[in-house]
Formats: sequence, structure tokens, C-alpha cells
Amino acid sequence: MNTLLEVRDLCKTYHKQSGWFSQRSVIAVQNINFTLAEGKTLAIVGETGSGKSTLAKLLVGIEKPDSGDILLAGQPVKISHYRQYNHVIRFIFQDAAKSLNPHQKIGQMLDDVLRFSTVLDPQQRKLKIRQTLKQLGLLDEHSEYYPHMFSGGQLQRVALARALILDPKLLILDEALTALDPSLRAQIVNLLLELQQKSGLAYLLITNHLRLVRHIADDLLVLHQGSALDYGNTAHVFANAGHDYSRKLINSAIT
Amino acid sequence: MLLLDIKNLTIELKTPDGLIRAVDRVNLSLREGETRGLVGESGSGKSLIAKAIVGVLNKRWQVSADRFNWCGQDLLRLPYDQQRKVIGRDIAMIYQEPSRSLDPTAAILEQLEEAIPAHLLEGPWWKRSYLRRRKAIGLLHKVGVRDHQAVLQSYPYQLSEGVCQKIMIAMAIAKAPKLLIADEPTTALESTTQAQLFRLLASFNQLKGTSVLLISHELESIARYTQSLSVLYCGQLVEAGETASIIKQPYHPYTNALIKSVPEFQPNLQPKTPLYALPGSIPVLQHLPIGCRLGPRCPNARKECVKTPTLERLQNHYYSCHFPLIGKKDL
Repeated sequence: MNTLLEVRDLCKTYHKQSGWFSQRSVIAVQNINFTLAEGKTLAIVGETGSGKSTLAKLLVGIEKPDSGDILLAGQPVKISHYRQYNHVIRFIFQDAAKSLNPHQKIGQMLDDVLRFSTVLDPQQRKLKIRQTLKQLGLLDEHSEYYPHMFSGGQLQRVALARALILDPKLLILDEALTALDPSLRAQIVNLLLELQQKSGLAYLLITNHLRLVRHIADDLLVLHQGSALDYGNTAHVFANAGHDYSRKLINSAIT
Repeated sequence: MLLLDIKNLTIELKTPDGLIRAVDRVNLSLREGETRGLVGESGSGKSLIAKAIVGVLNKRWQVSADRFNWCGQDLLRLPYDQQRKVIGRDIAMIYQEPSRSLDPTAAILEQLEEAIPAHLLEGPWWKRSYLRRRKAIGLLHKVGVRDHQAVLQSYPYQLSEGVCQKIMIAMAIAKAPKLLIADEPTTALESTTQAQLFRLLASFNQLKGTSVLLISHELESIARYTQSLSVLYCGQLVEAGETASIIKQPYHPYTNALIKSVPEFQPNLQPKTPLYALPGSIPVLQHLPIGCRLGPRCPNARKECVKTPTLERLQNHYYSCHFPLIGKKDL
């Protein structure tokens, strides 16, 4: 299996001015290492403030790392090359309803994504939109809908469509499954698993929901105050976690 | 003795298109010292029921019930003042988002002291403020906040969601209520804090005999801490009974789907295999299907399902389905 994403010694520190000359610094993430192969799922768990979201932002290029490398298929990633690699890594936000523009029809929104990031002509774009909607179990006429006309589960599908329309290799889900109702969550989980099997998509799952992690993730990374405590195969970490904190986290979810 | 006994609770909303029935003839009962879970997806009316019990629903909602008894008194037929008095004395509620339910402009000490009723303070009047403060500190210790000095002086925005939730619980138990209603107490919390909180609620239940009505959409977390369970779907009660027996053998297809969709209840399920899921999504309130509201999504729906099924009873296990998952002849 090819390595898709490799992260080496990633560090990020936020500085905050607390006086005229003094600065306070907050270490958001430090010395994070992991690799993610094609068609695999890596789950990142940890409490709030453990640097999960910062890590996701570093990966998609919203924030710039202080030191360390992000290698995508062996090539180092630079912020200036964002246009090149935004096809490969896509990001899904926590709340689908809030991350879609209420003024825009779904078709228009998907068209914008293609217009900005690809060289397809209008005819091809239309075809691509239709294919993507079908892939996610939505109908053609849904492209004429506004976001408020969808239910929660469908909105999550629309958000997925926006991410998948560029045929990415890696999808980052930032708590995207947490807010869903159980029966919808099962639907979306099935959809994600199916996509992974069909097209070899890799997922980076940022979540608090450890029971779900056990079911869908291949690897698990436990973050605590910016540094990685445990990293390895999910079943292995669940069975024998190295640190007290990760053990506590895992026990709270299982017992 | 039955603490709360509700029969055929119906909550309707007046709209220009007519009445919308958000909660349709739901029965709910709670014994003293019982913990009951109320499970349902968003829009199933579980928060509405909780608000109807506490009597804080907006005027636009019409609440009616055949029986709405609290300790033998029908709350809906009491005069308003008396109703408030009874509820204020006996029932406490913890709301969904703790940091938003607290007053952002007042320090925690003020809010906590305000929640302590005067009749619980024993002592001469000149000692009252001192006693009140002592009581507030005691309450914080009870809910597991050790550093009371710092917490009492801070404002809600300075505290983490977990601590805010604990303060909400402290305010709720200040008046030693008979019933504690917790409306999605753990949605905003992390898994370690979640477990802590459930243990806290369980300890109040065991030590003080407080009944707890636990409302959530996560079946797995609730199943561990409750004795009995009511499952709602779109405002209809689909199944009620003892938690263990429901988890073991659900009669209603919806409960079955809920249980099967959680990997935790399926120890034999291999990782990365598809989960059991019902097709379709929850109908919106404006377009509710007639009859059994699960109808369009139900795997074994038949012609009879356009009629609303009645609530049937099998020992202590209630279900409302024309075609329960065990055949009637097996009984």
C-alpha cells in the first residue's frame, strides 16, 4: 500500500502579545509524526485544546507550520502550492448546515468548486456534478435546491459531495459525524466505508467518539496538550495503551 | 409510588396551515428513585416533553393530556400559581448547553446563591448570607468541583463546558428536588467528562433517591445508567420498558435499528463492515406521514401501518407496532 501522507516532526506555536515587550506562547502541536496509507483511516482523538483542530488546519494549509514537514505522496507540501494540492486533501466541517452558503443553490456551489480548481468547460462540469450527486445517493434535481430544503443527513451528503467532487485522495472529517443522529450517522458511516472500498479514499477522522473510532479506524493517534501519546493500530492501542491519559480516555468510552 | 404519571400527552403547535402535532399521545411514568432514559432523534419531541413537564413551553404550544399527575396531583388542572409552586419545589432541570444557560453577566457565586431556596437555610437572619455562601461551596464540592474559590469568582465564559455543566447540576440539586430532568447533559462534553457526569447523576440517584429523567439521542451512553427506557420516534412513543430487556429483545423495528446501528452492541461485528441503517431520513414536522410515523422507513411496513398502532403491553414492556419483531404466537 502506497504511503499517501507523511508528517514529520510537525510543530506549531501560537504567540500572543501580553505586554509591550513580553510574549506568551502556546504550543499547539509539537513533534507530531504519522503516516497514512491510501485507503486507510487514521483517527485523531483527544480532548479540547489538545491540538486536533490545529493539526487539521496545518494539513489543509489554513495555518502554516513552524517546523517539520508534510509530505504528500513523497512530495513536501508548501503553502504556496495550495492550488496544486487542494485537489488531494479536502476538508469537511463539523456542522454541514452552517458551512454551506444559504444563498446558493447546491448545483451552483458545486460548479464554483470546479470553476476555481479545474479546467473543465461548462458541459463537463455539469456532467461531473451529476456524477458526484449520483455517487452520494442524491438526485439530479437536488442541484436546484437551496441548503435549507435538505434534511440533516442529506446536508451532510451535500457537504461530502463538495469535498468529493475534485476526486481527492484524503478527506479530513473534523467532528463531522458527532452531531448526527444515530440512524443518520450509521448511514453516513456506511457511505464513507463504501467510498473507501470503491475508490481507495483515505480518511483522517478527528473526533471524540471513541466507539465509532474502534469500528472504522485502522490507526489511532491520541493527542494530549499538543503532543502525541499513543500511535498505532487501533485494536493495539485499545488493548494496551502506553500512557495513563489514553488509558483513561479509552476506558471512559468502553466501560 | 408513581411520582410522575402522564397519559396521552399531546403537544401541538398552531400554524397557518393548521395544527401540527409534535408529540402524539405519549405515555410516561416514573417511580420514586427510578432513572428513566428518554431516547429519540432530533425532532422527536423529547425536549418538548421535558419542557412540558417543567411547564416552560412557549404559549404557542398547546399541551393536553388525559392525565398529567405529579404525586397524585394533576398539574395541568391546577391554577397557574400553584402549578409553578409545585414544580419549583420538586422538579429541577438541567438544560442542553450549560454555558449558554448560565447568566453571562453574573459571577458563579451570585447565580448559585440565587438558586438556593431560603427555607433550606437554618439559622438566624443575620447569619443568612454566610450560610448561603457555605451552602454554595458545599454544593460545588458535591458535584466534584474542588477549587471552589476560583470557580465561584469566575464568569461562565471563563470556565470549561464540563465545569459549567457541573454548576448547572449544583444549581439543580440546591433545592433537593424529587425529580431531576437532564436534557442532553453530555452532548457538548468530552468522553472522560461524560462518564464523570453520568456517575455523578447516578450517585445522586442512589444516595438521595432522586428520580432522574435522562434525555439523549445516544442510546449506548444512556443504556448503561438507566433502569428503564422510553424510545420516541417523531413524537410517538414506540417502545418503553426496562432497559435491559429492551436492549436484549426490542419489539419495535425502530428500536431494533437504533440498537443495531451502534457498534458497541454488536460484539461480533467486524471492524469496517457496514452498519445496519434504516433508509431515508427523519420526516420534517410539516410533512409527517399518517399512521405509524416510521412507516415510510420501516423494513416490514404493510398496509395496516397507515393506522396508528395502539400501545400494547407485554408484562412490563410496552410497544406500539402492528408487526412486532417477535410473532404474537410465540408469546
